[in-house]
Amino acid sequence: MQGDFYQLLKGKGYVLGVPGQAGAGQNLTTATTILAFKYRDGVLVAGDRRATAGNLVMYDRTDKVLEIDRHSVMAIAGVPATAYEMARILEHSFKYYRRTQLQELSFEGKLRALSKLLKENVPAALAGTGAVAPIFSGYDAEHDAAKIYFYDILGAEFEGVEYAVSGSGSPTIRGILHYVNTWGEQPLSAMSEEQATVQALRLLTSAAEFDSATGGVNRDAGLYPVIKFITTAGVRTMLDSQLRSLFESKVSRGV
Amino acid sequence: MYEEPYRWIEAVGNRRQYLDDQFKPGSPVIGVSCDTGVLLMTMSKGTPKLYEIYDRLALGGMGHPADLEKLRFTLLEMAHVEGFNRSPSDVTGSRIVKYGIAPMIKQAFEEVFKAPFIVKILLAELGLKAGKDSFLTINFDGTFEEKSQYAVLAASAAIEQEMMVSLRQHPVVSLEQAVNAAVCSWAVGDRVQRQALDESGEQREAQAGSARLVNDPDLLYEHIRRCMNDMTIECALLDRHVPGASKYRTLDPDELERLLPNNLGRPAA
Repeated sequence: MQGDFYQLLKGKGYVLGVPGQAGAGQNLTTATTILAFKYRDGVLVAGDRRATAGNLVMYDRTDKVLEIDRHSVMAIAGVPATAYEMARILEHSFKYYRRTQLQELSFEGKLRALSKLLKENVPAALAGTGAVAPIFSGYDAEHDAAKIYFYDILGAEFEGVEYAVSGSGSPTIRGILHYVNTWGEQPLSAMSEEQATVQALRLLTSAAEFDSATGGVNRDAGLYPVIKFITTAGVRTMLDSQLRSLFESKVSRGV
Repeated sequence: MYEEPYRWIEAVGNRRQYLDDQFKPGSPVIGVSCDTGVLLMTMSKGTPKLYEIYDRLALGGMGHPADLEKLRFTLLEMAHVEGFNRSPSDVTGSRIVKYGIAPMIKQAFEEVFKAPFIVKILLAELGLKAGKDSFLTINFDGTFEEKSQYAVLAASAAIEQEMMVSLRQHPVVSLEQAVNAAVCSWAVGDRVQRQALDESGEQREAQAGSARLVNDPDLLYEHIRRCMNDMTIECALLDRHVPGASKYRTLDPDELERLLPNNLGRPAA
């Protein structure tokens, strides 16, 4: 009667993740660069599209920026099998809560829901078979603000006051974000949607330059990163045609 | 004593009569398909009667609020577990009614030592394509019917028939037309139910009265206006134009005021 979908699933025998050592040492599908930062109208969340297993590129069309509900986005870094499962549980949990309790789950409640899933997944994460380090962004209606939180693989949550990054390519762009935000022409939070998009494309292109597990832009195949915006109006995805245009005019120089 | 078959039949008969009486003061529920989506409409005194069940499923109910809540939770659990384990597109009204709550309601109705569900349910489903919207109505004994375009719940089958006649007289394409048709049908049903309560036993007179009302929209609007003194019009829409998976939304007072016929949405001067 509490509107807890995960408890309902567990009551029916569901177990998240694969605990134990069975997969340790295997080349699991991983790697990523995901980022989120606050811009003038809300939060921008972006992610590259490459999935790798060891030296192999498994897939170049992965969607790592997942819309969980109309006002929340989870960007995933780590083992996609576990991350997608967590996203599906969260999506159903938020819907189930809203429909049973006849009110939206609070933003804080959503953050805790993801933290609980990560904690449940600790055995698999420590065994090396299911580590996930996501970024959760959403619109907090109670405080009338878009917010960013990032997590470690054990479930600890931290607020990204201005920005957050995760994944194998994140060390590269973390420094760039700090530099741009501190000494750039304007802080990230003052950027327009277009300026923020160009910034995200440049950051992900930089990450791909130094991290083989991050996929850059592939113009021949028409592959661009996934970029979503969270504002008071909800979640919106930038179209590939718009990304192509901005990439051609503002990013491709020197790439 | 219920081991004897005729005793059991008698007990079930008594139970049916008891349940019929429970719905007499209830508020009818109407479902109408239109180009915008599927509209559910009723009038309520505070406690809502229309609910979101899943991405493309909505519920309207009559009866005891506690029973309605219990069945609503059962539907929600079934729909969400099924949607998680398989896919949201595998969650259909037909499956969760036929293999889920209908057998449960029937069993409760026939177990004469236990309390039955005092509830009637209308489940609306937004089709994946226009023209594929559907409705399921479930009676307190577990019997269900599948319908397209329109569906209603009322105190008795005869009143539901009257309401369906009213709905057929209204051409419905737009949401505005759907709201108008639903409101008129609700007025027809509620008027007949109230007459049946006031003049218990004089069903013929009630039917004659309703027939007269069906042909007089002004009287129907007047009836609605009177009911709005202590009730609120409740409308929910499975909107095919809403982005994202979840299609359910309620019509807010401003939108309802624009859609309601004959200035019904405006406060009386």
